[in-house]
Amino acid sequence: MHFFSILGVEIKKIRRSKILLLLFLPLVILWIPNVLNADMNFQTVIEGISPEHNFFIQSFMGMAWFMMPASFVVCTVLLVQTERANRGILKMLSMPISTAKLCVTKWILLLILAAVQMLFMVGMYFICAEIASSTQNYSFTLPLSFIMEEAGILFVTSIPMIACFWMIAVCIQTPIFSVGIGLALIVPSVLISNTKMWFLYPICYPFYMLIQKYGTLASDGSSQEIPLVPWLAAACIMTGIFIAVSCIRFGREERR
Amino acid sequence: MNMIETRNLTKSYGDFTAVSELSLHIPKGSVYGFLGPNGAGKSTTMKMFLGLTRPTSGTFKIDGKQYPKDRVAILKEIGSLIEAPAFYGNLTGEENLEIIRKILGLPKSAVDDALEMVGLMQFKKRLAKKYSLGMKQRLGLAGALLGQPPILILDEPTNGLDPVGIHEIRTLIRSLPQKFQCTVLVSSHLLSEIELMADEIGILNHGHLLFEGSLDQLKDGAARRGYPTENLEEMFLALIDEDNQRRGGQR
Amino acid sequence: MNFGIEWAKMKRSGFVPAFLAGGALGAFVPVIQMAVRSENDTGFLGKPLEILLEANWSMIAMLNVMLIVAGACMMYHIEYEERGIQKIRTLPTKEWHLTAGKFLILMIASFGALVLETVGLGGCGIYWFEISEDFFTELLKNMGYVMVLTLPTVIIMLMIASWFQNMWISLGIGVLCVFTATMRQTDNGLLSLFPFAMPFQTVYEANVNDLIAAAAEVIAFAMIGWGIEKIRKKTV
Repeated sequence: MHFFSILGVEIKKIRRSKILLLLFLPLVILWIPNVLNADMNFQTVIEGISPEHNFFIQSFMGMAWFMMPASFVVCTVLLVQTERANRGILKMLSMPISTAKLCVTKWILLLILAAVQMLFMVGMYFICAEIASSTQNYSFTLPLSFIMEEAGILFVTSIPMIACFWMIAVCIQTPIFSVGIGLALIVPSVLISNTKMWFLYPICYPFYMLIQKYGTLASDGSSQEIPLVPWLAAACIMTGIFIAVSCIRFGREERR
Repeated sequence: MNMIETRNLTKSYGDFTAVSELSLHIPKGSVYGFLGPNGAGKSTTMKMFLGLTRPTSGTFKIDGKQYPKDRVAILKEIGSLIEAPAFYGNLTGEENLEIIRKILGLPKSAVDDALEMVGLMQFKKRLAKKYSLGMKQRLGLAGALLGQPPILILDEPTNGLDPVGIHEIRTLIRSLPQKFQCTVLVSSHLLSEIELMADEIGILNHGHLLFEGSLDQLKDGAARRGYPTENLEEMFLALIDEDNQRRGGQR
Repeated sequence: MNFGIEWAKMKRSGFVPAFLAGGALGAFVPVIQMAVRSENDTGFLGKPLEILLEANWSMIAMLNVMLIVAGACMMYHIEYEERGIQKIRTLPTKEWHLTAGKFLILMIASFGALVLETVGLGGCGIYWFEISEDFFTELLKNMGYVMVLTLPTVIIMLMIASWFQNMWISLGIGVLCVFTATMRQTDNGLLSLFPFAMPFQTVYEANVNDLIAAAAEVIAFAMIGWGIEKIRKKTV
């Protein structure tokens, strides 16, 4: 079966699941206080960051540290439960498709959902920046290219994290453990992103990127060096391992 | 005396009427066979008796008690098996029955009695989610029989069983009124099956009651209208078909 | 109400180990934090407990709230997965017995996690600080405060979990609420009365009014849940 037709099937499976609503609602909750407290952004000038940059980075940091990872934990539960609820997985496993392909397709579907949430976020940013601009008589809106670049970096750096959550969901059958471990992994990510070994912890990548960006924006250009080589190597190796383990374990429990 | 009696019982979902103006009379101490094709409204009727769904209009009395006023009192007298068996997958068969036993406040021996009756004794320590379809069905049946309630409501109890199992369970159901002085309401979509178990029969199609009475009465009536009576299944199909024709060919 | 029945249902669901592991993790948060940056923290002026809570409590509280979210989802997941709850509804018992039993179990489990975390904080106090006599009374007082402030979260999360048969919807809403609670830092007004935000307060921030608010919320939610259950029965 062609990859895209499997993907089509997977998308069809999550119809009527209201997942898009659940990806969208947290963004509304995130943006409302940011718009209401838009005037607070003028107090940050002391730190050297401009109000419009502060408006952008605070909201994106709020999303990256908790809501984005937590959304994926929920999405993995959605994917696993839709298969298990009525034993749909047994039907899928009895079809002439390679299980590894099926497993990777589901991971790609998670990436698509992540991309959709990121686009929602960008859309919300421009709407809210316009509202804040008109209430504060100050232009908060940053150029589209800048925002798209940042959103793109956030999305790409979240790929290893999504692979990690997907592996947990596939390998751990007891739902409370897969959910609990997923959520527990989020808690220390801020702590770890402050250490030198941050690049070994995929969950904190997107947040770390934003901290670096904050540093750059605050100190006017002089950016801190991100150790690209160890980071890229670690990220690629870990993602590969996560995907490989998920593919090996996928459907194993049902075929015993 | 009637154990269960309904008066113009109706259940609609939006513009779809699942059960329409149903008036049933289920005599005490009998096995009442509830017959009809899939989607005729058998399960819906049974669910109403158990308070799992609310009648849109009409009333019913069970052992002289009225729903919803005497809900708990009614449920105390009924053992039930509805649709697909309901249980806790993370518990063993025995533990599942143990939970029901505690709620009903029965003695400890009741669980083993019920397991013995449905032939699940040797699998009682196995997790319920690892049961085969037939074993799950037997577990559901054991849950219904627990404590020998005066009324049993069994929705297609032989679903998923093998021929030997079907025979075994039919014989068990047939023997229940004598053994425990109980009334049994059992549904099926096979007339041949109902024939082997039931004293009284009610036939349902599209939510309407087509016939209520004994098997002999059914045969007599069918013969008079020129239906084949030597083959029960054909007679049942002819009956349903005629009713469908009357409804303008709707199936 | 039958506590034993609800307890028996949780067998092999991973519920107890999850709360033990979560509590242990929470207990290790201050230990790790101190081990990594003890030279910074012990240098601060102020009460040892205040320093410890300041540095660790938001993380511990977050763990606890997420444990409650996951635990409540799990409790109703086993009810809906193989329709166990449908069987219970055909038995002569009242639904609030089931809810009350679940509330008690989730409450005790989250208290267990809090006790473990209190032990962790106490250990850090003894090892890294010169503690005065009132350290332990304040530590216990903190535990008691947080226990009461946790109750609204427990009851409302159970209600959410009972409304949705798909576990991931309840989980999604729970996570959304935790996220809303984490925004408390930017807005200290009404949001601190939000059930999911309450356990984030420590004994140094909360006062008697917060305890009263927590009790009121528990009663209010119980009544709302009871009303919704009535409506559900009417509409099935």
